[in-house]
Amino acid sequence: MKLLTKTTLYFLAAMVPLLAVAGFYLFNKFSKEINSRSDKELISEEYEWIKYLESETANGTSFILKSPDITIFPTDAAATPYATLTNIYGYNAQGEKIPFRQLSQVIAIGNIPYLITIRQSQEQKAALVTDVTRIMFFVFAGLFIATLIFNWAISKQLWAPFRRSLHKIRGAELQKMQAIYFEETSTQEFNELNTALNYMTGRIYRDFVNMKEFTENAAHEMQTPIAGAQSKLELLLQDANLKEEQVQAILQATDALNRLSKLNQSLLLLAKIENNQYETGEAVSFKAVSEKYLSLFDAFIKDKQIIIKTNFEEDFKTALHSLLADSLISNLLGNAIKYNYKGGTIEIKTNTNSFSISNTSMQPSIPKEKLFTRFNSANNSEEPSNGFGLAIVKKIVDTNNLHITYDATNGVHRFTILNVL
Amino acid sequence: MKILIIEDDTTLRESMVQYLEHQGFVCEAVSDFKTGKEKVAEFVYDCIVVDIGLPYGSGLDIVKELKYMESKAGIIIVSAKNSLEDKLNGLDLGADDYLSKPFYLSELTARINAIIRRRTFSGSKAIKFNEIKLEPEARRVMVNDKPVELTDKEYQLLEYFIANQRRLLTKAAIAEHVWGDEYIHVSNYDFIYTHIKNVRKKLIDAGSGDYIKTAYGAGYRFTDT
Repeated sequence: MKLLTKTTLYFLAAMVPLLAVAGFYLFNKFSKEINSRSDKELISEEYEWIKYLESETANGTSFILKSPDITIFPTDAAATPYATLTNIYGYNAQGEKIPFRQLSQVIAIGNIPYLITIRQSQEQKAALVTDVTRIMFFVFAGLFIATLIFNWAISKQLWAPFRRSLHKIRGAELQKMQAIYFEETSTQEFNELNTALNYMTGRIYRDFVNMKEFTENAAHEMQTPIAGAQSKLELLLQDANLKEEQVQAILQATDALNRLSKLNQSLLLLAKIENNQYETGEAVSFKAVSEKYLSLFDAFIKDKQIIIKTNFEEDFKTALHSLLADSLISNLLGNAIKYNYKGGTIEIKTNTNSFSISNTSMQPSIPKEKLFTRFNSANNSEEPSNGFGLAIVKKIVDTNNLHITYDATNGVHRFTILNVL
Repeated sequence: MKILIIEDDTTLRESMVQYLEHQGFVCEAVSDFKTGKEKVAEFVYDCIVVDIGLPYGSGLDIVKELKYMESKAGIIIVSAKNSLEDKLNGLDLGADDYLSKPFYLSELTARINAIIRRRTFSGSKAIKFNEIKLEPEARRVMVNDKPVELTDKEYQLLEYFIANQRRLLTKAAIAEHVWGDEYIHVSNYDFIYTHIKNVRKKLIDAGSGDYIKTAYGAGYRFTDT
């Protein structure tokens, strides 16, 4: 539920009892007003009647009057000093039950006590409840509509800075965090929020940079002890008295150190690409880079008797750091050779807006969700792999306005790199 | 041949000294920037192996110093950073080569040999091993003064073997030297077998001794003993 809808509901819910109280108060006020007007009229009417009675009964005759609204007749009761005014219910000419204001007083006129009862219809009082309710209802309806209109306007105007901030937060990326700035608004609350957000993004970015630097330094520093250990193993290997098992053990340790160092380098490369430490250079020819690596890997291609088909009639050129272009092609071509079988085929095609490389392989197709994740090396392969190759490829592609697709049909795996338009 | 090694990591420094001395070099080793600078100012070396990250200063400043002195020494930078900028920076300052850690001692030896040879202006630059003679500039191989046709890779293999003669070279070290670390993208290092077999056959056919010996399936040794 929207914050505004919520506040509106609360507001309206609070309005209901408030309006009820107001209605009740209004009703009371009007009711009293009507009563006091009636009372005045009743008293003056009584006064008229007393005067009339006094003149009529001066000759000693007694007087009786009985009409629906006025009764005057002699009584035994003692005279009362004041008139009593009460609210009663009675029936009007149409036989409807309606409220009346009634005055009654026993008054001695010429030694005869008379009971005077005068009542006045207060029919308008019955309508009063309906009127007040109706007014309150209109007020409520008016408020409701006004709130709706205000809400719409408020949410459009007042909340605009909030939405802008939200949009920025949604699009935030760790590496580009320092570029995010939440501007000052005319609303204090949003300013507080934006200040806090600016502080937060700044801190996150600083932490990120620190961590990045730490990782980089740690990775670099690790290379020296690895080099030390490797050099000792290399020297140890020169010992003429070693037994075969010992030599194998040393070799395995060397290989493990080698892998460790290569892993380290891959991680560093990934980190550097992520940090945009490779500035985009001039347009790189994918044809030229492919040809370079085809000749570099020639020995392996021949060794596996792989048939290479190329179609470089149109070149694919894109702005990319030359080192990244090398890494991209060597990883893709390397995989195409590594996971190929003897006598298999590799096909490389370039045209003005794409580069594609496909290879035959016994390997099952790579599940989409695992395709570009780190450490996902083909586990049934005997070839050494640190599982970073495709992650590096993906990272290069993502950071250089390129797009990569993968499909595998009938044992042919194909990667296509396209320009993001 | 006199080599100065400036490296702060004791383990690595000692290993380098031990290996290089075994290959016939005279080595001196220091562990920090200050002593390194002093040594460079005082003595003449054929080649200087210098680490970039040193206590009290950068190895790059020693390279600058050497260039300022117009030293004739070859310079190899070794660095924990495998970064292109560092490498280009070092080479721009006048270093002859750049090795990123970890490296094989055999690789270091091969590079030192290559640099010293390049810097030798007087005398023969040929590499000799008994009846085998290599002429690096022409990339020519002679056995008993008769040329042997080797491919580029086969030549590199042989040169590497001779630079590290009598030492056991692992397949990984050989593969990395000849094919660079790019081969990791493609294959394990078993492929070098074919190439070594070819070199061996060509040399024997040309009348050389059989010097390439396999060692426990761990690697190869180029030796006449």
